[in-house]
Amino acid sequence: MQAILTTLLFVAPDWVVKLTGERRPNAFWAEYIVWPAVQIIVVLFIVLTLVAYLVYLERKVSAFMQSRLGPMHVGPWGLLQPLADGIKLLLKEDIIPSKADRAVFIVAPIVSVVAALVVLAVIPWGASWATIANVNIGLLFILAVSSVGVLGLVLAGWSSNSKYSLLGALRSSAQMVSYEIGMGLSIIGALMFARTLSMSGIIDAQRADGMWYLMFQPLGFLVYVVSALGETNRAPFDLPEAESELVAGYHTEYSGFRWALFFMAEYSAMIVTSAVAVTVFLGGWMLPGVTGTSFFGLFGPISNPTLHTFASIIVFAGKIMLLIYAYMWFRWTWPRYRYDQLMELGWKWMIPASLANIVLTGIWYVLALPKPQGGLLNLMQGGASGRLVPTKLGIAYFIVTGFGVTIPIVWGLLTTINRRSRDFNLHEQRQLQIQLRRERLEKMLQQPADAQPAESGGQ
Amino acid sequence: MPAVKTTAAKRTLGQLIRRLLLFDLFKGLMVTFRYNVRALYEPRDGGNPNQALYTEQYPIEPARVSERFRGAPRLNLDPENGSTLCIACDLCALACPVDCIEVGSIRREVREGEKVNKKKVLTTFIYDTSRCMFCNLCVEACPTDCLELTQSFELAVYHRAGFRWDREMLEKGINYVKYPK
Repeated sequence: MQAILTTLLFVAPDWVVKLTGERRPNAFWAEYIVWPAVQIIVVLFIVLTLVAYLVYLERKVSAFMQSRLGPMHVGPWGLLQPLADGIKLLLKEDIIPSKADRAVFIVAPIVSVVAALVVLAVIPWGASWATIANVNIGLLFILAVSSVGVLGLVLAGWSSNSKYSLLGALRSSAQMVSYEIGMGLSIIGALMFARTLSMSGIIDAQRADGMWYLMFQPLGFLVYVVSALGETNRAPFDLPEAESELVAGYHTEYSGFRWALFFMAEYSAMIVTSAVAVTVFLGGWMLPGVTGTSFFGLFGPISNPTLHTFASIIVFAGKIMLLIYAYMWFRWTWPRYRYDQLMELGWKWMIPASLANIVLTGIWYVLALPKPQGGLLNLMQGGASGRLVPTKLGIAYFIVTGFGVTIPIVWGLLTTINRRSRDFNLHEQRQLQIQLRRERLEKMLQQPADAQPAESGGQ
Repeated sequence: MPAVKTTAAKRTLGQLIRRLLLFDLFKGLMVTFRYNVRALYEPRDGGNPNQALYTEQYPIEPARVSERFRGAPRLNLDPENGSTLCIACDLCALACPVDCIEVGSIRREVREGEKVNKKKVLTTFIYDTSRCMFCNLCVEACPTDCLELTQSFELAVYHRAGFRWDREMLEKGINYVKYPK
């Protein structure tokens, strides 16, 4: 048994040797083919199971927030409900509307789900070996690929040949495109500190700087979370599937497993956006005292490398789950935005806020540079591998500027920009129009009243 | 469009600060979060409005009805000797606006201690629950508190004949429904 496993996993088959011409084919086979395949299978299995259970969690959380019980019948506390749902969806009749564009209709959910799942490859699930591909442009890759997901939605809405689907797709494409800008811009502030686009590199940078970037970039985090909610079509920005207006939005005509694919894409997009938030702002798999760094020098991180990696995976997953709980919390608390309010928030608040954040962060960063590099305050020093690392005072400086200066300045700026945007108040406009018309009519009635005093004018 | 006064012009300082700190959003979040946490630790008591989980899992556990609810009829027995309290006076049948009660009785001699009295004795009691509108008039007419409308409400049966409750059913009650909990 062991011999078979060894040959399968560590000895390259002949075609690999012929095809690649590697000098060390066995190492190539084990390192680039077998091990990633194992990782991919494990990650896919875990994430897809998680997606199924996120649906269950969402139902439970919503139920508890509304004094209900949620699914209770399938298994203890309804724990087998996702399985039952999956089987039901698989066995359902595959319905394609007769007027639909068949090919596009079939391709759309695949595009959506593939775009959502491919991204999982570059997410740093834990320390050392727990990443499928440590690409040095990981963050860029995530932003690029996840924006392809919009295509799936648009194709679905178009090919369904239904007005609800089309309107839903129209809304979702506009929304996702506009919130993507804010999302991409909000990360840049943190990237200035990290100076790398590699996901593992960002986490290592936070370890070297000794602080999570949430503390340096509170505004960036805020903008990122809001934009991520908009990007993943979650409430309060779930306009593409606003059931009171659009039935189910872009997937109105979908049923059975194709519909489940859209659902899967939505929930894995949730996982991905929160994984990015955790990586960039919340220190990734680091938890002081357990993984990464020591707890204020009192007790160190776990020294056993294998144990450390497993602990880091658990920490990362825990942080993701916290963010996802927050997503659900928001969804079951806040009402949906109106469409113009959504666009206003995206274009007039989130994008200017992230742009101002970039400028201000740049200023704080340049001011804190060491003297020889043109800085004034000399709050950074060369760390390991020549990277600039803030000193203790520098950390305090960045936190104070982030919370105490950037946020008030940006708030003032935004209120100045948007000070007249509340003028678009339909009710008050209407009242004013009615009043003006009444005054005009009264004036008109007054003039004949002067000529003919017997006729008294109405109100 | 004519210019209107904005709501911002009417805002007080306190309102401004609340708006600045997104106070209302967090207030809403705390409400839902409190319910969520309470749902996790409070014991389940379905139908109790003061509990975090209001749901009652009816077919699994018995459903709550109001105290004044009028459901299935019952003929009460004397708790001392187990004989019926009904004196076959027929007042319930007379009171019933839909005539769904039939009281059957005979006159016979009944030994009461030393004496032997001739008395009306109940033989049959038919109560048609399909016609009954649960108005409680029969219960109010009953001089001996024998007839009573109980809290049980599971009266559905598969055949119309099942709606005619005889004396035995009325005295023993029905228990079609078995609750797992």
